[in-house]
Amino acid sequence: MKKSKEFDDILNECLDRLLLKDETVEQCLMSYPEQADELEPLLQIAVATKRVSTIQPRPEFRARARYQFHSALQEMEAKRSRPFFRWLPQWATVVAVALVLLLAGSGTVAAASDSMPDEPLYQAKLATEQVWLTLTFSDMGKARLSAVLADRRVAEIIYMAGKGDARRVEVVTQRLERCLAMMAMLASAPEAEGAPRELIEEAPAAAPEETKGRGGPFVDGNDRARLRMRVAHFAANHPAALRTALRQAPEAVRPALLRAIAVSEAGYEKALEALD
Amino acid sequence: MQDEESLVRRAQQQDQQAFTELYEEYFDKIYRYIALRIGNKTEAEDMTQQVFLNAIKSISSFKWKGIPFSAWLFRIAHNQVVDYLRKKARHITVPLVESLSNTDDNPELVAEQNLEMERVLLATQQLTKVQGEVISLRFAGGLSIAEVAKAMGKSQGAVKALQHSAIVALRRVLSVEWSNEEEQRI
Repeated sequence: MKKSKEFDDILNECLDRLLLKDETVEQCLMSYPEQADELEPLLQIAVATKRVSTIQPRPEFRARARYQFHSALQEMEAKRSRPFFRWLPQWATVVAVALVLLLAGSGTVAAASDSMPDEPLYQAKLATEQVWLTLTFSDMGKARLSAVLADRRVAEIIYMAGKGDARRVEVVTQRLERCLAMMAMLASAPEAEGAPRELIEEAPAAAPEETKGRGGPFVDGNDRARLRMRVAHFAANHPAALRTALRQAPEAVRPALLRAIAVSEAGYEKALEALD
Repeated sequence: MQDEESLVRRAQQQDQQAFTELYEEYFDKIYRYIALRIGNKTEAEDMTQQVFLNAIKSISSFKWKGIPFSAWLFRIAHNQVVDYLRKKARHITVPLVESLSNTDDNPELVAEQNLEMERVLLATQQLTKVQGEVISLRFAGGLSIAEVAKAMGKSQGAVKALQHSAIVALRRVLSVEWSNEEEQRI
């Protein structure tokens, strides 16, 4: 029994040397000449079995799995990073943000509107956009605003890709996807055709210039045709801009950028179909 | 890689960088372990992915009480393997060997290596469940005997004895195959 235990220990030590230190069978046998006859055939089997350590996952599977792993991490992070507004009902969030906007004044809002996802005012930017959406009552108005927000998201994706931040590129891409889906859905709603002008066109304080009724691109009556022109313009330019960013992006960001390109192409295609 | 304990603690605080380092360290090992245990490429890929998604969900429950992170992670993989093997009768298995070798070396060499690999894989299927588990954790997962013992909930002495008996059993199976081949050549 004791002898067997000793042999188990010797065999294990030799396996460690073969598997972890890349030593040879001969080197192991030299250390244990008395057990060499018994050890050698077992170590030869171990060498043959060691071949399983060369099994490698396919590169395409590795890339897909890595992307899904990072997406899962980001989802977890997104759930965690909404501590303040998370527990509030949506109407309360809107009221709270509207109050903040009133109190803080347009300076803060203007500063936030230029902020990027890695900057402190970015959450204020998103909250402000949410208020605009909530205070815009018609489907066509919301669709127009969604187009403007999609333009912002693409700019943010390109900015974060330039900084090599794949995680934020993926998070903003998810927002872009939601934005484009909302635009397509709203544009296809029956009410969208010939919808009355609504609050957004009366220009709430600090609403993005391009969404305001006067002086912006959506000034006159046929909003649908104008929106279609704007969306067609974005459909051509946004994927192209993302491809340019892809050429200059660090390797680590490329999978996320490829997804952003796919999302923008598919999203705009659906939005244009809805507007036709 | 940084000290694993501090990486795991950071991952438990939702530090994505730390989680990514752990993922990169263990991804191939977990895949190899599962592939060797079940012998099915497609299922091994899906299950490997699921192991890490489960790890993200349950990392907060992991406690450093003498169990290494590797043992915890391989236990997740082991549980999935057990579930899979329980349902295996319903699955059509896909040959593993032909897709395992990613080398672009000369075709003859690749064919020979694949043949040897296939023999080893088939031989591991002849082992008892616990012998197969030890060989998979040790050779495919790259775990030390201490880690294997923790992952299997056994003493190191017991695992060493299992390892010995598993290699003897592999030798028996492979020797029969090798001598059959010799006879055919003669």
